Amino acid sequence: MYLHLPVLMVVLLFGVSFVVSLLGKKRRNLAFQLTLLVLGIVFIISIYLLQHVGKEGPFSYHVGGWPPPWGVELYVDYLSAYVLMVLTSISFVVLIYGVEDLRHELKSDVLHWYCSLYLLLLGAMCGIALTNDLFNLYVFIEISTIAACGIISIKDDRKCIEASLKYLILSVMGSGCFLLAVAMLYMITGNLNFTYVAQELPHVLPLYPYNIVIALSLIIVSLGVKSALFPLHVWLPDAHSSAPSPSSAVLSGLVIKIYAVALVKLLFQVFPPQIFEVIPVLDIVLFLSVLAILAGSIIAMVQDDIKKMLAYSSIAQIGFVFMGIGLFEGRALAGGLLHIFNHAMMKAMLFLAAGLIIYASGIRKIRDLKGIGMRMPLTMLAFTVGAFSMVGIPGTNGFISKWHLALGALDLERPFFVAVILLSSLLNGIYYFPIVIDAFFGTQIMPQSEHKDVPALMLVPVMVLAVGIIFFGFYPAPVLSFIERAIGL
Amino acid sequence: MEIIIKILDNYYYFVAMVLFVIGLHTMLTHSNMIKKVMGMNIMETGIFLFFVSIGYVRGGRAPIIAEEGGLLYINPLPSALILTGIVVAVSVTAYALSLIVKLYATYGTCDADEIAMLRTREDQ
Repeated sequence: MYLHLPVLMVVLLFGVSFVVSLLGKKRRNLAFQLTLLVLGIVFIISIYLLQHVGKEGPFSYHVGGWPPPWGVELYVDYLSAYVLMVLTSISFVVLIYGVEDLRHELKSDVLHWYCSLYLLLLGAMCGIALTNDLFNLYVFIEISTIAACGIISIKDDRKCIEASLKYLILSVMGSGCFLLAVAMLYMITGNLNFTYVAQELPHVLPLYPYNIVIALSLIIVSLGVKSALFPLHVWLPDAHSSAPSPSSAVLSGLVIKIYAVALVKLLFQVFPPQIFEVIPVLDIVLFLSVLAILAGSIIAMVQDDIKKMLAYSSIAQIGFVFMGIGLFEGRALAGGLLHIFNHAMMKAMLFLAAGLIIYASGIRKIRDLKGIGMRMPLTMLAFTVGAFSMVGIPGTNGFISKWHLALGALDLERPFFVAVILLSSLLNGIYYFPIVIDAFFGTQIMPQSEHKDVPALMLVPVMVLAVGIIFFGFYPAPVLSFIERAIGL
Repeated sequence: MEIIIKILDNYYYFVAMVLFVIGLHTMLTHSNMIKKVMGMNIMETGIFLFFVSIGYVRGGRAPIIAEEGGLLYINPLPSALILTGIVVAVSVTAYALSLIVKLYATYGTCDADEIAMLRTREDQ
């Protein structure tokens, strides 16, 4: 029975996405209920898979009953089970928030389409985590790209449309590069399945080194564009800051990470280690990640829009994930992968908290936030927890992943990266702490404008994520042990 | 000299790469958004041509299994994959064009630079 669960997840999400889009605008409550139900089911499945894989090890599923060299293979290993858990849990919590928030941010006749796109996006991301086939990966990447642009442009204002068009053009360039890389690999190995390609590549490497080098470079560029690695990040700030708050949370928390996961899978499972002697890909990724961490933080400092600041902070934080990938072994990689979960939680929480502030008071400018902590104590408390976690104060989960990254860098005798991590914590402190301090201790300059009460349904998801940040800050062992198994530590 | 002969032997790969670069260049440098979408399509066509030509076998026939057997067939898999790729490219193009229509309705222009200019003027 459990064998069919991975494909069931993807099929369920895609199928219900189709059904929800047919419901029509009259039955939007039903659309939300159905979406939440499916997200709940998928979350339970992912927890079951996590337990099952933890106990009995990885297993594979042959779609349509066709064995691997011919058919598409889904492979549930430690990494994909972990990523599925992250995807389903965060997206479930974010949509609970979205039920109330989206009614205010979107026109009422597009709400069921939002649900549909949301499910489509989640299904495609689950597919990326599960698939063991190059072309299948390409198809899921395209679906997730279109759905991700869709949940931005669905808010029908011109900023969103401009941002999503920019995102779409750059992403399509990325997907094109990815398809070309698939072609390059297919032409020399004659296979699309990761396992079979990986078997062939060491043999064909001396014959066709250029093909493999070009394929690897194209993959780095394409997945780098999509996950906003530093010089390729230009689309991110507009897209993530103009989107509706639940979309921002999912885009910043999950969508940019899933491409980093795809890169990890390809580097680990497909490309032979000898390739790194031909072309220093890991050093390039490391260099770019350091640039991302520093530049993202510095640009975030000068922003005056709170969501834009959070978006630039995402660019810096994705740098940590890529730093883990670039160091490529031991505790550093574990820290980088752990940061996927931790940052997904904290950035989703911060975007939702920012959404709450915008919902309740209409304030977007950072300098107007003075004294907001008195009016919205719980929201700002959660925001404070998120800010602490971003900086990496012990007791929050942001500390754990940075700690492991730093330890890993020391294990590999590269103390330079420890300095970068420390510097970035300092920079994060410079732009997060003033907001928190001003919110609680600043005097209010704005007149007491109209102030809406925050519905409990919106506040609860934020609090859940905030509690999660502290919980995993004190008790990271279960997640961490799973990641360590994923990378064979 | 040797490289020219190699290129002539595999001219379809060469043409595919030229198309790819033309498309990529148009997409990233032109400010007109319709041209960007056209560049996107040229780039994707280049990739499709490349992918399909991988499966070509010199002197091969269409892969329809005949009674007599023993014939040389081309590899049908790349063609089948590219059908999916074409569907994706069409839907992305439709989506991009619909976004451009919306922008044209607000700004009255398809030029990304002009839109940026109009926006800065509004901000002031």
